[in-house]
Amino acid sequence: MPSRSNELHDTLVELLGDGACLSVQDLAHACRMQTAWVTERLATGVLQGELQHGQWRCSGASLVRARRLAQLETTFDADPELAALATDLIEEVADLRQQIAALHARLGLPE
Amino acid sequence: MEFKDYYKTLGVAKDASAGDIKKAYRRLARKYHPDVSKEADASARMAEVNEANAVLSDPEKRAAYDALGSGGAQAGGQDFRPPPHWDAGYEFSGAPEGQGMDEAQFSEFFEQLFGRAARARHTAGSARGQGGAGTAQRGADHHARIELDLRDAYLGGERLLSLRGARLDAQGHLVHEERQVQVNIPKGVREGQLIRLSGQGGPGLGGAAAGDLFLEVQLKPDPRWRTQDRDVYLSVPVAPWEAELGGPIEVQTPAGTTVQVTVPPRFKPGRKLRLKERGIPAATPGDLYLELHVALPPASTEAQQQAYRALAQAFPGFAPRAAQGV
Repeated sequence: MPSRSNELHDTLVELLGDGACLSVQDLAHACRMQTAWVTERLATGVLQGELQHGQWRCSGASLVRARRLAQLETTFDADPELAALATDLIEEVADLRQQIAALHARLGLPE
Repeated sequence: MEFKDYYKTLGVAKDASAGDIKKAYRRLARKYHPDVSKEADASARMAEVNEANAVLSDPEKRAAYDALGSGGAQAGGQDFRPPPHWDAGYEFSGAPEGQGMDEAQFSEFFEQLFGRAARARHTAGSARGQGGAGTAQRGADHHARIELDLRDAYLGGERLLSLRGARLDAQGHLVHEERQVQVNIPKGVREGQLIRLSGQGGPGLGGAAAGDLFLEVQLKPDPRWRTQDRDVYLSVPVAPWEAELGGPIEVQTPAGTTVQVTVPPRFKPGRKLRLKERGIPAATPGDLYLELHVALPPASTEAQQQAYRALAQAFPGFAPRAAQGV
């Protein structure tokens, strides 16, 4: 479930935490893909989710990853496993870039 | 609005084959991929490339676009208005779902001719023809990034967001607008986490609900700290005597509070002091790690230089480069 919500200016603000708060339909809509596309990738483990009473539920991190996968697959007609590999590498690079940026900032080096 | 030369965007000839268009698109998509490209305007260029490909890779859209351009309407830089019923006889207003394409960043030119505005006109037209309500379609979700301070993660905070979006008027015409939304950032937000603003995405069609706006959180880089999940690593300089002799020191946490911690004697490089559950707040809060490093006081005066000389005399056997063989 979302960890926090506030009503403000008619806008519901939700922080999507680690919990499985998103449905397959939410992911499909955010990625502009079919729900079958999402369930296939959940079933094969390319996307992470939890089965709750027979329904998949996903975290916000899964939505970010699903969008990357969808973009790679549609842009390059990529095989789902290849798109997953590229996504793994993109996430790894982002993590390393973040560490380098923190190190540079700490040492006072230019980015 | 300005006429868009999609062939020029993709760098292909007007008689390019579908294969040539696909190759050009993939080459540019790789070049401007936002996760990889170092180009400053990569996201904007990627949106242009996606838009051009969305039209030229679809035979119906491409044919309609070519017909539009053949009338001399594509004079560069001039204000462009499509002639009435320019798209009669073409069928390209199908559902966009399943294409993985995010039209949120596409131009007004695309929106009016091929996007939501076009679909709305088609929907309204078919509804009138059939006497029905038309096809309801939820608005597209929009995605953006938001940069926050670590303090916001600890305490929460308010942000006034400027959102550029569009809505459809009663005639199905796209109206661009900029609006501001004040958002309460919940405390406990982490790097990479998503904030969902319900109903702040693209407008729905046929009375359907608007999409949502997803904000991906980025924490501003700061030389004093880094985060890993909910754990926070704070860089804490200590004086040489504090590092070696130990003792109490005061540290300001990212939440703005001051805590007193005891530095153990005998400094070890890489030593961390853990303050349990003082990291980013949550049901299971993260920890705050203090990473100690020695800060040398500058010897600005003769007395201070003498103090360093005395230190050297007190440690005649100290060999800081022994590990390097000297």
